[in-house]
Amino acid sequence: MRTREQGSVLFAGVLVMVATLVIIQLWLLTAALEALLAHTYDVLVPAAIGSLVLCGANGLLLRYVITFDATVRRGR
Amino acid sequence: MADDQKDAAVPRWREDFPVRWDDDHYLTRRELAKFLTLGSALLAGASGLLAVAGTRADTQTWPDSVIAGASGLLPGTSLLFRYPTEADPCILIKDGRGEVRAYSQVCTHLSCAVRYEAAGNTIACPCHKGLFAVEDGRPTGGPPTRPLPRIRLERREDGFHAVGVDV
Repeated sequence: MRTREQGSVLFAGVLVMVATLVIIQLWLLTAALEALLAHTYDVLVPAAIGSLVLCGANGLLLRYVITFDATVRRGR
Repeated sequence: MADDQKDAAVPRWREDFPVRWDDDHYLTRRELAKFLTLGSALLAGASGLLAVAGTRADTQTWPDSVIAGASGLLPGTSLLFRYPTEADPCILIKDGRGEVRAYSQVCTHLSCAVRYEAAGNTIACPCHKGLFAVEDGRPTGGPPTRPLPRIRLERREDGFHAVGVDV
């Protein structure tokens, strides 16, 4: 039961992190669109790479939390 | 027989509510995490598309186009032409001192057509009273925040040629 409570807190923490990273990605996309319209092309590739890295981080967090969830369920 | 016993053991309401109450929040959170990660992937893809679009636009080559009637333009007047395509209206301006410059005619605020006002030696947008400097196309008044794209000109024997766009 204790592990389950810990898992719940962990899940909430991971969700907050994922949501924060998604908001940063949204900001990056907005900035990139602004730069494209202003014809400032040199920031577009770094913005895309940054967004990709954040997406990878989100994927890893999701994988971790799903693995943890499965472990908790198996232990019940 | 075994199926009947199983059906009897599981109440019918369980079919409509298959998730235990204390598992409900957990399940919803997992779905939300998946949804957010999917959104994250879509945002990364959109950023990648913007980067590709920017790379293509950066390597754009401009046509060389003669501007008919530009040589005979009087000081303090302007001439409309199209560059680089027929869908891109531009304005060529000869100010009071005889200096010739050309800009995109599309206002950077909401895409109205700008015009040259010789009295104030300025480029004005009639829609929302936006103003641009004749010297370099920078916004000097009203809502526009970005300068007008400038058309590169070359003067040759047969008149003025548009050879590129500085944005």
